[in-house]
Amino acid sequence: MSDPSLSAFPCLTPVEFSRACQAVAQAAWARPEGGWDSIRLVTQSTGSMLQITQHITDIPHNTLHSAESEAIDDVDDEEEQDPVCTSQPPRAMLHRPNQASQEALVRTARKPSLQVDYDILLSSTYRVPVLFFRLKWNHHHHGPVGLDAVYQYVVPEQYRQGLQSVGVMGGISLGYHPESGAPAFFVHPCNTADAMAHLADARNATPGTYLLIWLGLVGHCVNLHVPRELVAPGGTSPLRGHA
Amino acid sequence: MENPASLAFIQKNVWDGRVPLEVVLAPSESRTFDQTDPYLISYPRVSYLPSLLPKLRAFFSSSLIEPHSQSHDGWFAFEDVPLKWHYPIGLLFDLYAGVEPATRTSSRDEDSPESGSSLPWRLTVHFSNWPDEDLVRLDADGMVMNDAFINSVKEADFLRNGTAKGIMSLSKEDSSGLWKAVEDVNLSSFQRISNTLLPPPSQPFRNVPIRIFLPLPPDAESGSLKVVQSPLPPFIPASSIQSSQSISSRSSPSMQPQTVGTVLHTLLPNLFPSRRTPVLAKPVLHGAVLPLSAPIEEVVRSSAYGDGWAYLVVRMMG
Repeated sequence: MSDPSLSAFPCLTPVEFSRACQAVAQAAWARPEGGWDSIRLVTQSTGSMLQITQHITDIPHNTLHSAESEAIDDVDDEEEQDPVCTSQPPRAMLHRPNQASQEALVRTARKPSLQVDYDILLSSTYRVPVLFFRLKWNHHHHGPVGLDAVYQYVVPEQYRQGLQSVGVMGGISLGYHPESGAPAFFVHPCNTADAMAHLADARNATPGTYLLIWLGLVGHCVNLHVPRELVAPGGTSPLRGHA
Repeated sequence: MENPASLAFIQKNVWDGRVPLEVVLAPSESRTFDQTDPYLISYPRVSYLPSLLPKLRAFFSSSLIEPHSQSHDGWFAFEDVPLKWHYPIGLLFDLYAGVEPATRTSSRDEDSPESGSSLPWRLTVHFSNWPDEDLVRLDADGMVMNDAFINSVKEADFLRNGTAKGIMSLSKEDSSGLWKAVEDVNLSSFQRISNTLLPPPSQPFRNVPIRIFLPLPPDAESGSLKVVQSPLPPFIPASSIQSSQSISSRSSPSMQPQTVGTVLHTLLPNLFPSRRTPVLAKPVLHGAVLPLSAPIEEVVRSSAYGDGWAYLVVRMMG
């Protein structure tokens, strides 16, 4: 039995969004190799949320020193959410030593990397998925990560100009995470419905496939790529048939 | 909508609304600790806190331990809770100040004794130690604030029209003009631009931009506001209202205006068991208790903040 078609296309209902999150999470859990560093499905009374973590490790070293001069203090956030189910335990939280030993760590220890925590939620205004993300340095003492760092490290080069040229400050803004209330970046969702409407494949998609198409559309701009394993050709994708 | 003149009258009163503020410099940042003189001002409800910062920075400059801080390093707290600067001051006041809201009987008596005790609203301003976990940082040229405002305007516009085309087609001048009109609290220049975004009075909104803020439990963490938002059409089938309200002549006979009461009863049935009478809680907007019988589209057309949203604060009764 196939899924009912999307009743509010190009928008999603909360139920369809929930189903979409489940489908993508289950598909990713079935293929832990390759893929994202971690993915969790969070189900709350307010709705579902998909949390994906990635690490950007190819940080050009020469960019760090210039950035370091403006470092003020460290970002050190704790996990706020209670996941209902977890595919993999989140990476061991790096214990943050005090500032002095942290400085030493920068020179001697492992390569600095930028941890990106993506949260996919259903926008209560636009009724389409919206991508929030927060950034955290690992193995590198650095101040809060600003919008310039997002464009420098997170947005692939081919999207930079297009994203920066729209709106007051570009297609990525700083706002407040709808669940935690903490500051977070987000990709503007106001044109998502129009964009999805123009993608023929999305119209008759299952919720899970809708979300993968959306990820291909929005995620790419901020370095969140759909693992090849999840979109295997030839109808073997776990997202077809059942969700 | 039946009375555009009275809606305009309400809107003018909303824009004229002010809250009395007493701003003190954080003692830890002051050369004289808690002996610094406070800054007193009556400030428009539709304004945003950061627009006060240049004046405050100048006023407190001789007291600052850290003399190199700039005005956009400034942030506000009420009883140690960092205040989200992207919400208008009127909403923050309704949320936190604890002042008893005006009612139909008390609204003309602004100096009523029970409200006098907690006024002016006492805020603390800081110019260092930005709370990065709670607040988005500001920038020197105000782009971050402008961006946040326009994003909020876009959301309201999307709900009203079902598309984001209106705001997207707004010229750059009008887009920045809208923000400037709110910054300057200039209602006529605001109306000139916002009227190009609003559907004409004869054409109902698709959905009505309302956000509902739930009461804060006493042990609430800072910043953890509970906000309810749902698509709210201005008219609903009459069968879902058991009341004797007259049916609007413009709508089809089977539809009735959605009221504040029907919204609250549908979204928060435990707090609002009745559509017509506040029993356990009451909705507050611009410091006044909102009648449950008020049609929500009229509420937003007359009493929205500059970003197009009506922000209702739910207060427990008794």
